[in-house]
Amino acid sequence: MRCLTTTHTVTKKRAPHRIHAILALLAVVGAMPCAMANATGKPDPSLVEMQKKLDQSLQLIEALTERVRELEARQAVPAAATAPGAPATSNAATPAAEATTGTSRLDADERKLEQLEKENANRSTDDTGLPLHGFADVGIGTHNPINPDLKGAYVGNLDFYLAPHLGDHTRALFEMNTEVGSEGSVDVDLERAQIGYQFNDQATVWVGRYHTPYGYINTSLHHGSWVNNTLRRPKFLQFEDNGGIVPAHTVGMWLTGAVHAGGGKFLYDVYAGNSQEIVDGALDMRNAGTSNGHIGGGARLAYQFKTGRVDGLMLGVHAFTSTITDDAVPSNATRVLAYGGFAVFDTDQWENIAEIYLFDDRDIRGGTSTHRSTAGFLQLGYRATWGVPYARYERTVLEQSDPYFAALEGGASYHRIALGARFDIDLKSAIKLELANTRLTDRSLDRYGEGLVQYAIRF
Amino acid sequence: MRFGSDYRSGNRRCIGLAGALVLVASAQVTAADLYVVCNVNVALQPSDVRDVFIGEKSFAGSAHLAPADNLSAQTAFLERVMKVTADRYASLWTKKSFRDGANPPPVKASDAETIAYVRQTPGACSYVQTVPPAGVNTIGKF
Repeated sequence: MRCLTTTHTVTKKRAPHRIHAILALLAVVGAMPCAMANATGKPDPSLVEMQKKLDQSLQLIEALTERVRELEARQAVPAAATAPGAPATSNAATPAAEATTGTSRLDADERKLEQLEKENANRSTDDTGLPLHGFADVGIGTHNPINPDLKGAYVGNLDFYLAPHLGDHTRALFEMNTEVGSEGSVDVDLERAQIGYQFNDQATVWVGRYHTPYGYINTSLHHGSWVNNTLRRPKFLQFEDNGGIVPAHTVGMWLTGAVHAGGGKFLYDVYAGNSQEIVDGALDMRNAGTSNGHIGGGARLAYQFKTGRVDGLMLGVHAFTSTITDDAVPSNATRVLAYGGFAVFDTDQWENIAEIYLFDDRDIRGGTSTHRSTAGFLQLGYRATWGVPYARYERTVLEQSDPYFAALEGGASYHRIALGARFDIDLKSAIKLELANTRLTDRSLDRYGEGLVQYAIRF
Repeated sequence: MRFGSDYRSGNRRCIGLAGALVLVASAQVTAADLYVVCNVNVALQPSDVRDVFIGEKSFAGSAHLAPADNLSAQTAFLERVMKVTADRYASLWTKKSFRDGANPPPVKASDAETIAYVRQTPGACSYVQTVPPAGVNTIGKF
């Protein structure tokens, strides 16, 4: 059957070429006598002879075409005779009968071929299993990119994610990440576990654990290092267990969508979920629920330009609030209010990102009133043919009398300048280099430089 | 005079005939057209095609869209319609899938397989380089 299929394909492909070649030949041959006759104005004996030959050629083509049909019909007959369950073919059959049988066999094979194509067309991932994708990275540095107290080689993340196809409206996304802690222990986190219902392009509701929709990086660039052009996230936007100061995950409900308008589109997010708690100096997103019943929430609104010179530009604002307690005795409680904006210029050439966060936190139990802090970064990246060089400046000014930042291990103020580059080895692997200088500005006045290399893959 | 007129008229006819035949014969060697086709239940604008194939548009009215890539015509499609390289297209889908849980379009091997898929699958959209047959909705020629 495979051979037969191949034969048909080849025949189908060659046939138009033959016809066109004959037509071209006829065109040239046909044009010559015209030109010759017109040149003299009288019927030329050689022209008459040529026309006669042309007629003969046409007759020959017709005869050859008929002969090909006849041979194809004969070729089909033995195949039919050997097919299981096929009716026996009489050796004494007339050529006409053979041709008829052959034609019907060809028709049958055409139908089978069509059926195979339909079956292939219907084949989907539903019956070929669920693809498992993921990311991994390893590296070497003068300091560990997350914990500067460590040096040398390190194992980064091994991150798996599943996005099963469930139907027209139901969607699901699960991401499981294994990461190595400062003590070398391997921890497994269910980073995202969200099931959603997509009403249309304008609205999808997710429930579960998701990346908190603020700024750009937190929802666009996730744990998989390969996805990011830079070697690591800005320090203050690291994930919770890596010293981040903004809740990267929320467990709750999230409404998101896009509405086209004015040649671009508005993107919106509204969410609410369990208020985070600070446990052992890190934000905990309370996967199983909260004991105090506190609810946090927020919103993000952005406009993405899709035409003209600003195609690829996105401007947005975001805000969130949450009452966050810690594990001190007695525990502190802070009404965290963060708001700000972001700008992204993401094109085939540029990846420029800026985000700013303004904190207006209210100490609920300690009575130290309101504390204001700021954090932000500016990153410029250029997609050159040889790689993606980038530069980033990060700065945080975090009020240390704010019980929220005081309780967070990563709550110190700093500024960092980083220069780096990404080199894609192939479609699925990349090497990144980064040189960075970090200076802490309040809890300690340490200053350190870093040289980092990372090998990141996707699979 | 009459002879001259016949001469010019005949000459024009012959040149016209030869030219037409040569054009027909050479049509095969020019760049093949690309047709974006959808299932008959899908109504799309040509300007929507890019969004459909990067997962930004999942619905056309009430119809859930099911785009599929056609391996035999993908190079032309990415160049003429999507205006991205194959690497960038793959990268876009990796990020999209990881970010939103969306799945990249399945890949069909040939025009025939693609047409069969588009005909049978509600919401299906794809592209071919042969003139689309009846039974599919041609969105645009690129």
